[in-house]
Amino acid sequence: MAVAATAAAHAHGHAHNRLQLNRVGLWLFFFSESIVFGLLLTSRFFLMGVDREHVDQQLGLIITIILLLSSVTAFTAETAIEQDRRRLASWMLLATILLGVIFTVGVGFEWSIAEFNRKEVFGTVFFTMTGIHATHVVTGVIMLFLVWVQLKRGKFSSRDHFAVSGTVMYWHFVDVVWVFYYPALYLIGNVVTPGQ
Amino acid sequence: MKAFQKGYVVAILLAVLTIVEYIFAVNFDNELVKFVGLSAAALAKVGMIGAYFMHFMRIFKTEEAH
Repeated sequence: MAVAATAAAHAHGHAHNRLQLNRVGLWLFFFSESIVFGLLLTSRFFLMGVDREHVDQQLGLIITIILLLSSVTAFTAETAIEQDRRRLASWMLLATILLGVIFTVGVGFEWSIAEFNRKEVFGTVFFTMTGIHATHVVTGVIMLFLVWVQLKRGKFSSRDHFAVSGTVMYWHFVDVVWVFYYPALYLIGNVVTPGQ
Repeated sequence: MKAFQKGYVVAILLAVLTIVEYIFAVNFDNELVKFVGLSAAALAKVGMIGAYFMHFMRIFKTEEAH
């Protein structure tokens, strides 16, 4: 009896250590990604100062709110699986995927109507920053889809759901990046026209 | 239910801050004030997302339920 209890405690401790290692590893990944995104943000101000070219303000606000909404659905999915509410988690993961796709389409549309091109300084900055961010959004959508498939196959429960939490945290990280990119590209700066 | 509610309150605060950011940026002309104001708003938003959505403090926890 005592041996069984000791073994169970040992197994619980081992699982907990693994979970902590997963979390720390994920945060280290976020910090390394922050360096890339931070450098791009710095280059925007280094190359353009507080100037920028005209971008569609309404579209910028709409896609920002869509990404914010997707963070709410992702949060709901994670909280639902923590409470073993699998059906709600499944629907919320799907909603997050859909909102991520809409955001990406919005960025693509912004690219198509942009009044600058990639050969201009602001164009280079804008397309690089939004392009790398959108690539991360697409990666997040793929990961969310894979997690959703696993969830539908009966995986994950309130006791074992790090894949869901990790993917949702990645999604929030993508949102955090946009929290800085949105004002830097759309809001801050005097609007200048090319050649000025 | 409490876990959901806390997240939704944070989400509403984030939405309000985003709208305030937009209105502030569109109506303000002083670039320095705009830069400082928008940076402060962005840091506040990131703090909330990190604390409540990304559970930053969990990496310092030694033991928990699941």
